Amino acid sequence: MEYAYNVGTMAEVLGTFEQAVLLEVLRLRDEAYGRAILKAVQERLERELAAGAIHATLERLESKGLLSSRLGPGTDIRAGRARRFYRVQPAGIRALNYARRTFNNIWRGVKWPVTALESL
Amino acid sequence: MKTPHSDARPPRSAEAILRVLLKPHDRETVSGDLLEEYRDAIVPARGRAADLWYIRQVAWYLFRASWVWGTVMGSALVIRYLLDTLVPPADYTTRATVLTWTLLGVCALAGFVTAWRTRSMRAGVLASTTAATIAGIVSIVGTAMMLAVWHDASTLEEWRRSGGLDEAFIDVPLKLIALGIAMGIPGAALGKGVRTRVTLSG
Repeated sequence: MEYAYNVGTMAEVLGTFEQAVLLEVLRLRDEAYGRAILKAVQERLERELAAGAIHATLERLESKGLLSSRLGPGTDIRAGRARRFYRVQPAGIRALNYARRTFNNIWRGVKWPVTALESL
Repeated sequence: MKTPHSDARPPRSAEAILRVLLKPHDRETVSGDLLEEYRDAIVPARGRAADLWYIRQVAWYLFRASWVWGTVMGSALVIRYLLDTLVPPADYTTRATVLTWTLLGVCALAGFVTAWRTRSMRAGVLASTTAATIAGIVSIVGTAMMLAVWHDASTLEEWRRSGGLDEAFIDVPLKLIALGIAMGIPGAALGKGVRTRVTLSG
């Protein structure tokens, strides 16, 4: 359980959406702010998302210590309103690795795409 | 960089509701993200329908702040109707009293918690009123489902004795909205007041 970030709770493994958000924050590096993350996750998941869903997830991941944030300057198009930039913390990296390992373990030995019992 | 849509403005009322519902920590950044997406991507792609997109985004925040409270109140109403239908008492006073105090308490709590979180009294009243509206909808749907299952003459007579269908479909939902406003105000005032006091003393 070395990669688990909150052993003993119900949410030991990150959900798919949380993984998508954390991975986009990693990919965006210094440009990871709310709207950029929203666009990137929408493209990755190929569906429209409520901006609130992204903001709520970012807030939850930050409260768990998987992300940190800092304020950055606004731009004209957002009427000068500040941007909140996110960065993945070591606990976030551990959580992602644990989620990936769990995912791999679950799928080990199963042919993909799954069609029937012969996939096993 | 200026774009042709840099000055497009989302509906003022929706933007005001959004800013009220956000925590002070997020007020600038989240409303800025939405404004940037609206101007940079949604208006160029959808034109006038962009306002609908913006309203949907704000509705998501409003629903998030109130759905739990609304579901609790709506469920309490449906449970009461269910009990009255299946286990009719000789006197409805006790059940009515328990239900009334539950609804009053939940409305006040919705106002308190939301005002505490956002430090805005208006957000507390808004969440309480929306929760009461959701409860009204849950109550109407629940009642309709119950009637679809139990609609024999004796059950309908029990319904008539306990207040009638008008009460379930019209009176209660309308009174709930009034209750949401009436109890949301003191709840929100208390939530904001306690939060301010805690912040100042901390």
